[in-house]
Amino acid sequence: MQRSPGLTLSAAAPVIALAFLVMTAAGCATLHVNSYAARGMDPARYHTYTWSPTDPETTGDPRLDSNQFFDTRVRAEVDDQLAARGFEKAPASGPDLLVRYHMSVRQKIDVPRIDPTDPQDHGEVGVYDAGTLLIDLVDPRTDQLIWRGWAEGSMEGEIDSQEAMERRIDRAVTKILDRLPRTQ
Amino acid sequence: MRRFFEAAGLVVSIVTLTSCATMSVSSHVQRGIDFTRYRTYDLGPADALPTGDPRLDRDPFFQDHMQGAVVRQMAAKGLEHSTSGTPDLLVHYHASITRQIDVNRTDREHGYCYDENCGVRTVEFESGTLVLDAVDTRTNRLVWRGWAQQAIGDMLDNRPKMARRIDAAVARMLERLPVGRIDAPRRDVGTGER
Repeated sequence: MQRSPGLTLSAAAPVIALAFLVMTAAGCATLHVNSYAARGMDPARYHTYTWSPTDPETTGDPRLDSNQFFDTRVRAEVDDQLAARGFEKAPASGPDLLVRYHMSVRQKIDVPRIDPTDPQDHGEVGVYDAGTLLIDLVDPRTDQLIWRGWAEGSMEGEIDSQEAMERRIDRAVTKILDRLPRTQ
Repeated sequence: MRRFFEAAGLVVSIVTLTSCATMSVSSHVQRGIDFTRYRTYDLGPADALPTGDPRLDRDPFFQDHMQGAVVRQMAAKGLEHSTSGTPDLLVHYHASITRQIDVNRTDREHGYCYDENCGVRTVEFESGTLVLDAVDTRTNRLVWRGWAQQAIGDMLDNRPKMARRIDAAVARMLERLPVGRIDAPRRDVGTGER
């Protein structure tokens, strides 16, 4: 290990601290959301839904595996957002739609673009826990996937704080289901 | 072959970083319930889920030490270990090991570099997670989950070190369980602690 030339602690610290702050803030705020409807399918034609019975799946993060606090929050927020879009929660028999979700977490490496004109910009490479929340709507009569929406973003530091995790869930679910048309 | 070099370049070195050795402890809790009503507990059935590392699967040393640490810490919190009848809480644990990658951010923040180009040094390490679950036996609901995460390095080859780490992890996790004696140390629940 050697001291890097031209990069002293006093000079570099504020710059790097700022870059780190900006990167961290951007990483937390960014949420990539997308969805698609199966060809020829219009989710707005469906009116009632119920939760699909599912086997416990691993998420890739032991903190979230079989975590009822996580599970309860996702379901409650999906229920709220579906209700806000006119969907009605049906009794267990005879719903138009089955709803299921899946959460997965894996580590990603973030390599930022470096500004070649800026000698101070070394590009802070970072690793973070990337989370993907996926929501599926399935037609129980045909067992066909009608609509799938998902949100991807950094979960770094979000699971260790229950409040942060809950805010993150609410925002992700809302943004995913924003892409779902209101039922007719 | 090229892929091999890319992978080799990624894993420049496997060293124990001090940042990796820090234990991270936190918890989730069911809000709005009175935890003071929980007075007895028992250990739940042994966890059959794979740990992600065959060296730790069904390891009797690990299981015995883990259970002993939980029993000691729960006794210190004033909860009674009930092996007959129905306890108020069932405590389960799960251990898992995953491969994680870290970069030498800490060093660079302080103006140090490993080489002239101030290149990025990436390390791969094994991260261990211990999860403790407390389930209300009346409702069969999870009321509290605590976890501790740490780079485990050579811990699996070093039994005394493993024993010390388990003791420390269980003690710090159960500090966050809001039950037991009033004078037991308490912390704000649900806030991340690094």
